[in-house]
Amino acid sequence: MNDDDIDSDATDRMLLQRMAADDRVALGILYRSYHGRLCRFLTRLTRRADVIEEVINDCFWIAWQKAGSFHGDSRVSTWLMGIAYRCGLKALRQHGDEPVEDDARQEERTPAHDLDEDRELRDWLGKGLERLSVDQRVVIELVYGVGHSLDDVAVIMQCPVGTVKARLFHARVKLRNVLPALAGESPKRTGNAP
Amino acid sequence: MTFPMDSGKDCVRAWETMPWFLQDNATQEQGAWLEDHLAQCESCRAEFAQQSRLRLALSLPSDVPVDADVGLGCLLARLDMPDPQELRPRSRSGNWLSRALVAAVLVQALGLGVLGVKLWSVGGTPSYRTLSQETLPAAPGAIRVVPDANMTLADWNALLHALRLQVVSGPNDVGAYTVAPVSSASTAQHALQQLRTTRGIRLAEPVAATP
Repeated sequence: MNDDDIDSDATDRMLLQRMAADDRVALGILYRSYHGRLCRFLTRLTRRADVIEEVINDCFWIAWQKAGSFHGDSRVSTWLMGIAYRCGLKALRQHGDEPVEDDARQEERTPAHDLDEDRELRDWLGKGLERLSVDQRVVIELVYGVGHSLDDVAVIMQCPVGTVKARLFHARVKLRNVLPALAGESPKRTGNAP
Repeated sequence: MTFPMDSGKDCVRAWETMPWFLQDNATQEQGAWLEDHLAQCESCRAEFAQQSRLRLALSLPSDVPVDADVGLGCLLARLDMPDPQELRPRSRSGNWLSRALVAAVLVQALGLGVLGVKLWSVGGTPSYRTLSQETLPAAPGAIRVVPDANMTLADWNALLHALRLQVVSGPNDVGAYTVAPVSSASTAQHALQQLRTTRGIRLAEPVAATP
């Protein structure tokens, strides 16, 4: 954890304390500061905007209810991600993870400012992640996307660190074999690992 | 986990270090070592380039549009709504179930009450006697009599009639009868003496004197 992480965690804890005292302004600040990363995290589970919004709101509903009982055993971000992960899995069970929009609408939805390079990168990533299981996608997002440590991911997913390591390893091996071909290269290596 | 033959220990170490280096969470020493290794290992360089691209792709903002303001508005509105968990016991289905259970218990209690009253009113003595119950009190002046096996029924009846006695129980397993005076006018003591002197009566003992 670097200095920025420590500062940001201290701010989050202060916001949680205010939330425990029914301060809705604090809830709004925390909500906005986590909205982007939770959105991105949840797109690894589902592409449905309505489900993502529902999960984020469920997550903050729980955070609001339990703000007073947060004892600081982990960082606030780890705690919130754990809640979002469990709410996300629950939503997946209820709604399924199939996209509801067709490709044409997806094209419209893509931000206008999205450069061709970014779009290509998204496409490359999306096709690679399709080959992974939900748990492997979540581990990849938490480690590479959010920047959590193995210990944090274990707390979020409520599983042993060894399980996280195994999921990360297998996800990386799969991506290593698949991504070069998706980028138009021929895979140079077909082994399981380096 | 298997590694190809051309992978050295350093490549394995580089593979493990890459995610944490990309996160800026590797130590300075680990970072320096990785950069040194990448400079001389083409395979790991290619792997690192791909990992960097993966990291870049994963850091792009979400392309699924979810409006934070709209979401926050919904959440705040939800906070103003009564807690659904508090409402649940008051829900219609909950009420219906509780009422049905209460009704079932009342019907059961009523049934048990009626049955109890009915059994109590039947009362009476049971057709059996337990070992802990005391024996029924013998009739006043009762005598236990064992007639001889050769005594005829006519003689036995005539004897009882003459002494104004009647059989109140018996014969038991050993052929004993319990007899008692027909009326209080006849004295049991006199009947006892007569029985003892009568031929064909093997035993005559007052019941009260029986130990």
